[in-house]
Amino acid sequence: MSSWQPGTILKLETEHYLLRSLTGEDASEAYISWWNDPDVQASLGFEPRGWDWSHAVRHIQRFDNRRNFHLGIFPKGESLPIGFVSVFIEHGNRALTNTVIGNRAYWGRRVVLEVRERIFDFLFDEIGVAKVYGRVESRNFASIFNYKAQGFTCEGVLRQHGLGIDGKRCDTLMFGLLRDEWKSQAKTGAFR
Amino acid sequence: MTAAADETARRLLATALQVDGGEIDGEAAIGRTERWDSLAHMRLMLGLEEHLGRTLTSEEMLSIESLGDLIALLNGAPG
Repeated sequence: MSSWQPGTILKLETEHYLLRSLTGEDASEAYISWWNDPDVQASLGFEPRGWDWSHAVRHIQRFDNRRNFHLGIFPKGESLPIGFVSVFIEHGNRALTNTVIGNRAYWGRRVVLEVRERIFDFLFDEIGVAKVYGRVESRNFASIFNYKAQGFTCEGVLRQHGLGIDGKRCDTLMFGLLRDEWKSQAKTGAFR
Repeated sequence: MTAAADETARRLLATALQVDGGEIDGEAAIGRTERWDSLAHMRLMLGLEEHLGRTLTSEEMLSIESLGDLIALLNGAPG
Protein backbone atom coordinates (compact mmCIF):
# COMPACT_ATOMS: atom_id res chain seq x y z
CA MET A 1 0.00 0.00 0.00
CA SER A 2 1.14 3.59 -0.60
CA SER A 3 0.99 6.43 1.94
CA TRP A 4 -0.97 8.60 -0.49
CA GLN A 5 -3.87 10.74 0.67
CA PRO A 6 -6.33 12.21 -1.87
CA GLY A 7 -5.13 15.56 -3.19
CA THR A 8 -1.49 14.96 -2.33
CA ILE A 9 1.46 13.90 -4.46
CA LEU A 10 1.26 10.21 -5.30
CA LYS A 11 4.50 8.23 -5.15
CA LEU A 12 4.79 4.62 -6.22
CA GLU A 13 7.85 2.43 -6.64
CA THR A 14 8.79 -0.51 -8.86
CA GLU A 15 12.01 -2.46 -9.13
CA HIS A 16 13.64 0.02 -11.51
CA TYR A 17 11.45 3.13 -11.42
CA LEU A 18 9.87 5.71 -9.17
CA LEU A 19 6.49 7.08 -10.17
CA ARG A 20 5.57 10.52 -8.87
CA SER A 21 2.82 13.03 -9.59
CA LEU A 22 4.34 15.66 -11.83
CA THR A 23 4.20 19.32 -10.83
CA GLY A 24 4.73 22.49 -12.84
CA GLU A 25 8.42 22.32 -11.99
CA ASP A 26 8.68 19.10 -14.01
CA ALA A 27 7.80 20.87 -17.27
CA SER A 28 11.32 20.38 -18.63
CA GLU A 29 12.46 20.87 -22.19
CA ALA A 30 12.33 17.09 -22.68
CA TYR A 31 8.79 16.83 -21.28
CA ILE A 32 7.55 19.60 -23.60
CA SER A 33 9.29 17.96 -26.57
CA TRP A 34 7.23 14.77 -26.12
CA TRP A 35 4.05 16.74 -26.78
CA ASN A 36 5.54 18.09 -29.98
CA ASP A 37 7.17 14.85 -31.18
CA PRO A 38 5.32 13.43 -34.24
CA ASP A 39 6.15 9.82 -33.39
CA VAL A 40 5.20 10.07 -29.72
CA GLN A 41 1.96 11.89 -30.47
CA ALA A 42 1.08 9.53 -33.31
CA SER A 43 1.29 6.67 -30.82
CA LEU A 44 -1.52 8.45 -28.95
CA GLY A 45 -3.46 9.12 -32.12
CA PHE A 46 -2.73 12.84 -32.19
CA GLU A 47 -0.85 15.34 -34.30
CA PRO A 48 2.06 17.19 -32.66
CA ARG A 49 0.50 19.65 -30.20
CA GLY A 50 2.70 22.70 -30.65
CA TRP A 51 2.90 23.26 -26.91
CA ASP A 52 5.18 25.72 -25.16
CA TRP A 53 6.27 25.80 -21.52
CA SER A 54 3.18 27.59 -20.21
CA HIS A 55 0.83 25.17 -21.98
CA ALA A 56 2.73 22.20 -20.54
CA VAL A 57 2.51 23.65 -17.03
CA ARG A 58 -1.23 24.24 -17.38
CA HIS A 59 -1.66 20.66 -18.55
CA ILE A 60 0.22 19.23 -15.58
CA GLN A 61 -1.77 21.39 -13.18
CA ARG A 62 -5.07 19.97 -14.46
CA PHE A 63 -4.40 16.76 -12.57
CA ASP A 64 -5.79 16.92 -9.03
CA ASN A 65 -4.30 13.73 -7.56
CA ARG A 66 -7.78 12.73 -6.47
CA ARG A 67 -9.60 11.47 -9.54
CA ASN A 68 -6.82 11.93 -12.05
CA PHE A 69 -3.07 11.55 -11.94
CA HIS A 70 -0.15 12.48 -14.17
CA LEU A 71 2.73 10.34 -12.97
CA GLY A 72 6.28 10.87 -14.16
CA ILE A 73 8.39 7.74 -14.67
CA PHE A 74 11.79 8.30 -13.09
CA PRO A 75 14.56 5.69 -13.42
CA LYS A 76 15.90 5.18 -9.92
CA GLY A 77 18.80 7.55 -9.23
CA GLU A 78 17.79 9.98 -11.99
CA SER A 79 16.07 13.33 -11.66
CA LEU A 80 14.41 13.57 -15.09
CA PRO A 81 11.45 11.45 -16.13
CA ILE A 82 11.58 9.26 -19.23
CA GLY A 83 7.82 9.36 -19.72
CA PHE A 84 4.54 9.48 -17.89
CA VAL A 85 1.31 7.68 -17.17
CA SER A 86 -1.96 9.60 -17.07
CA VAL A 87 -4.86 8.10 -15.14
CA PHE A 88 -8.45 9.30 -15.22
CA ILE A 89 -10.91 7.73 -12.78
CA GLU A 90 -14.31 8.05 -14.38
CA HIS A 91 -17.93 7.72 -13.39
CA GLY A 92 -18.74 4.04 -13.15
CA ASN A 93 -15.67 3.30 -11.08
CA ARG A 94 -13.43 2.66 -14.03
CA ALA A 95 -10.02 4.11 -14.91
CA LEU A 96 -8.67 5.21 -18.27
CA THR A 97 -4.89 5.13 -18.57
CA ASN A 98 -2.48 6.53 -21.17
CA THR A 99 1.21 5.74 -21.08
CA VAL A 100 3.95 7.62 -22.92
CA ILE A 101 7.62 6.71 -22.98
CA GLY A 102 9.11 9.89 -24.43
CA ASN A 103 12.75 8.92 -24.07
CA ARG A 104 13.45 6.62 -27.02
CA ALA A 105 16.39 4.99 -25.23
CA TYR A 106 13.80 3.24 -23.05
CA TRP A 107 11.62 1.89 -25.84
CA GLY A 108 11.46 -1.92 -25.87
CA ARG A 109 12.74 -2.22 -22.29
CA ARG A 110 9.47 -3.35 -20.72
CA VAL A 111 9.07 -0.05 -18.87
CA VAL A 112 5.36 0.10 -19.63
CA LEU A 113 4.72 -3.38 -18.25
CA GLU A 114 6.70 -2.73 -15.08
CA VAL A 115 5.18 0.62 -14.18
CA ARG A 116 1.62 -0.23 -15.17
CA GLU A 117 1.72 -3.34 -13.00
CA ARG A 118 2.30 -1.13 -9.96
CA ILE A 119 -0.31 1.39 -11.09
CA PHE A 120 -2.92 -1.31 -11.67
CA ASP A 121 -2.30 -2.68 -8.18
CA PHE A 122 -2.82 0.85 -6.84
CA LEU A 123 -6.00 1.38 -8.84
CA PHE A 124 -7.60 -1.97 -8.03
CA ASP A 125 -6.44 -2.29 -4.41
CA GLU A 126 -6.33 1.27 -3.09
CA ILE A 127 -8.75 3.23 -5.27
CA GLY A 128 -11.00 0.20 -5.71
CA VAL A 129 -11.80 0.59 -9.38
CA ALA A 130 -13.63 -2.26 -11.06
CA LYS A 131 -12.02 -1.89 -14.46
CA VAL A 132 -9.06 -0.33 -16.25
CA TYR A 133 -9.25 0.45 -19.93
CA GLY A 134 -7.36 2.11 -22.73
CA ARG A 135 -7.57 2.82 -26.41
CA VAL A 136 -4.94 2.50 -29.09
CA GLU A 137 -4.64 2.92 -32.82
CA SER A 138 -4.44 -0.42 -34.64
CA ARG A 139 -1.05 0.41 -36.18
CA ASN A 140 0.53 0.94 -32.77
CA PHE A 141 1.83 -2.62 -32.50
CA ALA A 142 4.08 -1.95 -29.51
CA SER A 143 1.23 -0.61 -27.42
CA ILE A 144 -1.05 -3.45 -28.46
CA PHE A 145 1.63 -5.89 -27.34
CA ASN A 146 1.65 -4.25 -23.91
CA TYR A 147 -2.11 -4.63 -23.53
CA LYS A 148 -1.95 -8.27 -24.56
CA ALA A 149 1.01 -8.97 -22.29
CA GLN A 150 -0.96 -7.67 -19.30
CA GLY A 151 -4.02 -9.75 -20.00
CA PHE A 152 -6.29 -7.07 -21.45
CA THR A 153 -9.13 -8.09 -23.74
CA CYS A 154 -9.84 -6.22 -26.94
CA GLU A 155 -13.47 -5.28 -26.35
CA GLY A 156 -14.16 -3.37 -29.48
CA VAL A 157 -12.88 -2.18 -32.82
CA LEU A 158 -13.86 1.32 -33.90
CA ARG A 159 -13.49 1.05 -37.64
CA GLN A 160 -11.37 3.66 -39.45
CA HIS A 161 -11.69 5.79 -36.36
CA GLY A 162 -8.21 7.23 -36.13
CA LEU A 163 -5.03 8.17 -37.91
CA GLY A 164 -2.09 5.78 -37.72
CA ILE A 165 1.57 6.57 -37.33
CA ASP A 166 1.82 6.40 -41.13
CA GLY A 167 -0.87 9.09 -41.47
CA LYS A 168 -3.44 6.70 -42.97
CA ARG A 169 -6.85 5.99 -41.46
CA CYS A 170 -6.89 3.01 -39.13
CA ASP A 171 -9.09 1.27 -36.61
CA THR A 172 -9.08 2.25 -32.95
CA LEU A 173 -9.01 -0.65 -30.50
CA MET A 174 -10.57 -0.58 -27.05
CA PHE A 175 -8.84 -2.75 -24.44
CA GLY A 176 -10.25 -3.54 -20.99
CA LEU A 177 -9.05 -5.35 -17.88
CA LEU A 178 -11.39 -6.30 -15.03
CA ARG A 179 -10.38 -6.51 -11.39
CA ASP A 180 -10.90 -10.28 -11.21
CA GLU A 181 -8.80 -10.81 -14.31
CA TRP A 182 -5.95 -8.82 -12.80
CA LYS A 183 -6.22 -10.65 -9.48
CA SER A 184 -6.27 -13.99 -11.25
CA GLN A 185 -3.02 -13.08 -13.00
CA ALA A 186 -1.50 -12.18 -9.64
CA LYS A 187 -2.37 -15.64 -8.34
CA THR A 188 -0.96 -17.53 -11.30
CA GLY A 189 1.96 -15.23 -11.97
CA ALA A 190 0.88 -14.96 -15.57
CA PHE A 191 2.50 -12.09 -17.47
CA ARG A 192 4.38 -10.88 -14.37
CA MET B 1 1.28 -25.99 -46.88
CA THR B 2 1.44 -26.61 -43.13
CA ALA B 3 5.17 -27.33 -43.18
CA ALA B 4 5.78 -24.23 -45.26
CA ALA B 5 3.69 -22.12 -42.91
CA ASP B 6 5.53 -23.55 -39.94
CA GLU B 7 8.90 -22.74 -41.49
CA THR B 8 7.82 -19.22 -42.49
CA ALA B 9 6.34 -18.53 -39.06
CA ARG B 10 9.52 -19.63 -37.31
CA ARG B 11 11.63 -17.52 -39.66
CA LEU B 12 9.48 -14.42 -39.16
CA LEU B 13 9.44 -14.85 -35.40
CA ALA B 14 13.18 -15.53 -35.21
CA THR B 15 13.87 -12.38 -37.22
CA ALA B 16 11.58 -10.34 -34.97
CA LEU B 17 13.10 -11.74 -31.79
CA GLN B 18 16.58 -11.40 -33.28
CA VAL B 19 17.56 -15.01 -32.56
CA ASP B 20 18.51 -18.03 -34.71
CA GLY B 21 15.58 -20.01 -36.07
CA GLY B 22 16.60 -23.03 -34.05
CA GLU B 23 16.05 -21.10 -30.84
CA ILE B 24 12.32 -20.69 -31.46
CA ASP B 25 10.43 -22.80 -28.97
CA GLY B 26 7.31 -24.47 -30.32
CA GLU B 27 5.42 -22.98 -27.38
CA ALA B 28 6.69 -19.43 -28.01
CA ALA B 29 4.09 -16.89 -26.95
CA ILE B 30 3.57 -13.43 -25.53
CA GLY B 31 4.06 -13.60 -21.77
CA ARG B 32 6.05 -16.81 -22.06
CA THR B 33 8.94 -15.89 -24.33
CA GLU B 34 11.26 -13.37 -22.71
CA ARG B 35 12.55 -11.85 -25.95
CA TRP B 36 9.01 -11.31 -27.29
CA ASP B 37 8.75 -7.70 -26.16
CA SER B 38 6.98 -4.68 -27.62
CA LEU B 39 9.65 -3.89 -30.21
CA ALA B 40 9.91 -7.55 -31.23
CA HIS B 41 6.14 -7.61 -31.65
CA MET B 42 6.30 -4.52 -33.84
CA ARG B 43 9.02 -6.14 -35.97
CA LEU B 44 6.93 -9.30 -36.22
CA MET B 45 3.82 -7.49 -37.43
CA LEU B 46 5.77 -5.47 -39.99
CA GLY B 47 7.64 -8.57 -41.16
CA LEU B 48 4.39 -10.46 -41.51
CA GLU B 49 2.84 -7.67 -43.55
CA GLU B 50 5.90 -7.59 -45.78
CA HIS B 51 5.66 -11.35 -46.28
CA LEU B 52 1.95 -11.19 -47.11
CA GLY B 53 2.34 -8.09 -49.24
CA ARG B 54 -0.57 -6.36 -47.59
CA THR B 55 -1.74 -4.67 -44.40
CA LEU B 56 -3.06 -6.94 -41.67
CA THR B 57 -6.66 -6.46 -40.62
CA SER B 58 -7.25 -5.64 -36.96
CA GLU B 59 -8.72 -9.09 -36.42
CA GLU B 60 -5.66 -10.80 -37.91
CA MET B 61 -3.27 -8.62 -35.94
CA LEU B 62 -5.14 -9.22 -32.69
CA SER B 63 -5.16 -12.98 -33.26
CA ILE B 64 -1.40 -13.34 -32.98
CA GLU B 65 -0.22 -14.15 -29.47
CA SER B 66 1.88 -17.26 -30.14
CA LEU B 67 3.85 -19.15 -32.76
CA GLY B 68 0.80 -21.35 -33.23
CA ASP B 69 -1.37 -18.32 -33.99
CA LEU B 70 1.18 -17.18 -36.54
CA ILE B 71 1.18 -20.59 -38.25
CA ALA B 72 -2.62 -20.65 -38.26
CA LEU B 73 -2.76 -17.23 -39.88
CA LEU B 74 -0.22 -18.20 -42.54
CA ASN B 75 -2.11 -21.42 -43.26
CA GLY B 76 -5.25 -19.41 -43.87
CA ALA B 77 -3.60 -16.70 -45.89
CA PRO B 78 -4.18 -16.74 -49.65
CA GLY B 79 -1.20 -17.57 -51.84
